[in-house]
Amino acid sequence: MLKVDHLQKSFRTAAGDVHAVVEASFMADSGQLVAIIGASGSGKSTLLSLLGLLDTPDAGSIEINGTELAQLDARGRTKYRAQRVGFIFQAFNLIPNLTALENVKLALEFSNWDKKDRGARALDMLTMVGLDEEKARRRPNRLSGGEQQRVAIARAFAAQPELILADEPTGSLDRQTGQKIVELLRSTASRENTTVLIVTHDEKVAAQADRRFEIEDGVLREID
Amino acid sequence: MRSVGVVIILGVAIALSISMLIARDAVSNKIDSVRASTGTSITVSPKGFFGFQGGGTPLTNKEIEGIVSLPHVRAVQASLSERLSSSQTNLTSPTPPGFLGQQFDGGNSNTSNSSSGSSTRSGLTPITGGSTPSNTRGFSFATEIRVIGTNSPGTALVGGANGGGTETLTSGKAFNATSTGNVAVVGASLASTNKLKVGSTFTAWGKTITVVGVYNSGSTFANSEILMPLSTVQTLASATNEVTGATVQADNISNVTLVTTEITKDLDSAADVTSTASTVASELAPLNSVQTISTYTLFGAVIGAALILLLSMLMIVRERRREIGVLKALGAPNRSIIAQFIAESTTFTVLGSLVGFLAGIAISSPITSALVNASGGSTSASQGFGGFVHQNGGGFTGGGSGFAPPSGGFAPPSGGFAGGQGFHFGGFRNTLTQLHTSAGWSTLAYAFLFAVVIAVVGSTFATATITRIRPAEVLRSE
Repeated sequence: MLKVDHLQKSFRTAAGDVHAVVEASFMADSGQLVAIIGASGSGKSTLLSLLGLLDTPDAGSIEINGTELAQLDARGRTKYRAQRVGFIFQAFNLIPNLTALENVKLALEFSNWDKKDRGARALDMLTMVGLDEEKARRRPNRLSGGEQQRVAIARAFAAQPELILADEPTGSLDRQTGQKIVELLRSTASRENTTVLIVTHDEKVAAQADRRFEIEDGVLREID
Repeated sequence: MRSVGVVIILGVAIALSISMLIARDAVSNKIDSVRASTGTSITVSPKGFFGFQGGGTPLTNKEIEGIVSLPHVRAVQASLSERLSSSQTNLTSPTPPGFLGQQFDGGNSNTSNSSSGSSTRSGLTPITGGSTPSNTRGFSFATEIRVIGTNSPGTALVGGANGGGTETLTSGKAFNATSTGNVAVVGASLASTNKLKVGSTFTAWGKTITVVGVYNSGSTFANSEILMPLSTVQTLASATNEVTGATVQADNISNVTLVTTEITKDLDSAADVTSTASTVASELAPLNSVQTISTYTLFGAVIGAALILLLSMLMIVRERRREIGVLKALGAPNRSIIAQFIAESTTFTVLGSLVGFLAGIAISSPITSALVNASGGSTSASQGFGGFVHQNGGGFTGGGSGFAPPSGGFAPPSGGFAGGQGFHFGGFRNTLTQLHTSAGWSTLAYAFLFAVVIAVVGSTFATATITRIRPAEVLRSE
């Protein structure tokens, strides 16, 4: 279970302080698909960075299955990201000189997954997202956008994290492929019993989520 | 493609470093070898003394003792060079008068044949005793026999005092350095001509001298001489306390100039004091400048290579900033990412070093030659040292100052004219430009050290940059 309570984050810029996240509080159960929608600059990416411990909140708390994470030190945050969170990016962000299989194995390596099981686990994950062994041996530049996002999903789920954070996962894909990716995320979240949090500005994507939130001027609220 | 470019640029810089390292070593070895070959000898001769022509006021035993007491003086070999005319000895010189002797005009000869023992330092003297003139001018000449009184027969027997080559005892023994006895070690030619062997006797200045040893120098001229104890010669030749030359050994090559200065100061204007130190220093100046240039260029090239790698790595880190951010977001620790980049920079360095080392070895010889030639080494090298080669037959070992002609060496067909003291420059046969470039273990070790320095410096700033990359900022700019 993910529990976020009164999360706040500001940035100091030359133009003055920017309150990116003013108030964010919510809870999500394991296996749920949660969507956060908002316009550009509304604070949704900052919220995602805070939840992924890529940034430190000014105030508030983040709890996963009873563990408080917001005040972890740098080493603790790195360990958390490696073992308990998976990231999916709009631009896929696969390592270009590694094959699809090696990209997935990389996440297993960082989470200290047993070395001898990494290959089999990575291949299983790629098969689960619909990529065969031949495509698993390809480098990202020889895969389509949809296939690259599938590799990214396989990488995010590989180490069995408790939370998946997906930033505009369909933003670089056509509608049909994007739809398939959302369905894949939903089914994988359910199968792996993982909370998946999607940040999107696409209402149709958000409509498929179990719960929907909107962020506006840094304030998060749940919508029906 | 970029990686190949980095390796090639790095290789060029490392090749320059290697070639400079090799050039520096080659020049350094040459300098050491030249310095070693010049030895620590300093020649002291009476002022105005000029070989067989004599001249000048002899030095005294006291003056020699003064030199011995100077700091950094290891040993002093004093000698008194005298000549035995036919009236002073029953020996016959094995050296024929030669062309010059046959043309000699007795009216111009410098003779001094008093029975009291005063001697002549000319090379020739008319044969007296009513022999039939053998030339058109009514004179016939015999070559005088050179006698060297020395307090260091061991040193004298290795070519230091008698103007010959390298002498070795073929029979008998050398006399004691402090001996006052009427003993002698004679040259092989003189012994052969006069049927002398160990135990034989001959007369000199009216005294009976016993042969205690026979030496062979490989030089007809030097083999015609007699070595005797210094004090014996001083007594017999009525030259008490007189010394016509000394060879001083400094304790270290680096102290030769200092000792030379001290002796000059001590003896004031009484003597000519010379060493090869100043000559060698001026001749080595071009090599020293090459050494300096190669040292600076070496460090410049190493710094350049490090900068090339540093900038390349910074560029690579900058280009892969997003990748680093993603890796950090996925939970990669800094050390893991840094290790990856250090491995990359090490690979560049190793490949660059391989390319550079091979290229460096290939270009080191021409670069070294070019540097030496550009700094004027070729001219001074071939003309400055090539001529100090002592030729068989005695050669012009010169007067008190140990002067030797700049090239070729004056080598009479036979006989020749030996002066009081002379230097031997057999060790300078090689010209300064004949440098041997090679990459030894020390060069390899230095090259490895430089490669490590390059890799470490090249990676440092890159790794520092990596630790500062914040994944949130990288991903926010997506």
